[in-house]
Amino acid sequence: MAHDPYQILTHPFSLEGYAVVITGAGGAIGGATAHVLAQAGANVVVSDLNLENAEKVAATVQKATGRETLAIRTDVTSETEQQALVDAALKKFGKITALINNVGWGEYTPLWDVTVDYMMKSYLLNTVSAYNLSKLCMPHLRKQENASITISGSAVGTSPSPEFISYSNAKAALLHMSKSIAAMSGPEVRCNAIVIGSVDNGEATLNAGYDPEMLKRLADSFVLKRRGAPFDIAYAFNYLLSPAAAWVTGIHLHVDGGGSYKSKMPTSD
Amino acid sequence: MQALKPFALDGQVAIVTGAGAGIGRAIAELFAQAGAAVAVSDLKKDTADEAAAAITAAGGSAIGVACDVTSAEARQALVDAALAAFGKVTILVNNAGGGGPKPFDMPLDTFAWAYELNVFSVFHLTQLCAPHIQKAGGGAVLNITSMAGENKNQRMASYASSKAAENHLTRNIAFDLGPKGIRVNAIAPGAIKTAALASVLTPEIEKAMLKHTPLCRLGEGRDIANAALFLCSPAASWVSGQVLTVSGGGVQELD
Repeated sequence: MAHDPYQILTHPFSLEGYAVVITGAGGAIGGATAHVLAQAGANVVVSDLNLENAEKVAATVQKATGRETLAIRTDVTSETEQQALVDAALKKFGKITALINNVGWGEYTPLWDVTVDYMMKSYLLNTVSAYNLSKLCMPHLRKQENASITISGSAVGTSPSPEFISYSNAKAALLHMSKSIAAMSGPEVRCNAIVIGSVDNGEATLNAGYDPEMLKRLADSFVLKRRGAPFDIAYAFNYLLSPAAAWVTGIHLHVDGGGSYKSKMPTSD
Repeated sequence: MQALKPFALDGQVAIVTGAGAGIGRAIAELFAQAGAAVAVSDLKKDTADEAAAAITAAGGSAIGVACDVTSAEARQALVDAALAAFGKVTILVNNAGGGGPKPFDMPLDTFAWAYELNVFSVFHLTQLCAPHIQKAGGGAVLNITSMAGENKNQRMASYASSKAAENHLTRNIAFDLGPKGIRVNAIAPGAIKTAALASVLTPEIEKAMLKHTPLCRLGEGRDIANAALFLCSPAASWVSGQVLTVSGGGVQELD
């Protein structure tokens, strides 16, 4: 029989030879993802608005894994800087195998206190940037084996989250977009999203309006009784980018401790 | 090789039902390769033994167990056999299942049988294994369901609704077993090139299926096995209650 139905890949989760662009990689989840992907064999472009953070992650990852990294400052709301990111990635690694649209930001806002300008800026940062960067990368991705785009979604984009109205709407749109991209980009390029639950990313969560008491109640509400670690998300990216997921596209993988149904800010009662 | 550690199953003991062929066998073989000892269960004893022997020959650890998962006694015997051979159970893969298009006028027994096979057996085996998985320090239950659990079509009332029940069983049991350190997830496969599918697949049907599949090919056993390994490995330690669709991005239906 020419076709072996039980043929198993030697290293299904290996990313040997991949060049991966990660936005927002100076932060906790993006940084852990850069680390895990490099450990699995990838070279990584670490893009962040904050160059210092990007450089720190790039240097740490390179030292720990021996893989090549490139730190670059990118304001993803700027088309010029997006193009510069793609150009720099191609110049450094000669190809782009995977794009991770990880950058995103939102904060607590009372439902009716959001201005049109604020809402538009949220869409520009969380949704439109991912659309345009995907568009810029697509011709380069199409040339690579098992190429993919993966999106950092959020649990607030899947259930009513009036506390984060601008952010949650933008994330919902982003998730929907990932399915549309998937439908049109095969068979060369896969597109998936990770629906991320409440991850302990240090200061960033506190800055978004949570206090430690709220976070404890949130953790207790999850099936697995803990908030996520950045590495929990990073390993999911590893799976979705790898040959192991070669037949996976258009999915929303929830990595949320089983607790996404309670994604809203918990109150004391 | 430290990079691949998160996806390793060293020291784990897995029960995989329906593992004599197709998707189940691919899962059993990959889990063994990832370091788990595997109880390979199949309706037919010789098929189970053959799959277990292939794993052992490749340097893995496995036993073959005959099990009709619709029999409560056989389910208990399967768990007992795994415990006797390997001393513990940490992973249960409920892969055995089946059914297909049935006319709306089917006898009620036919309808009930889909639930016996695809829902009751899964629930009871999970009930039987949970205390042992908890005792072993936690682990994972994985249910192999079907895209049919989401699709809508004629003549699919029994099979598709039973698979939808299995999906929702997964989401709910996750809450029961989470506090015991047991994660519960499912994979909903699209059309996978197995012997079971080959019996009904024609070139015309395949062509129609691929028209609705962004990745332009049907699935292989290993596509599901890889997803299964991810979900049962430490890499997915914060993932529970999920139904992961592995379908090439599309919907494949027989008609």
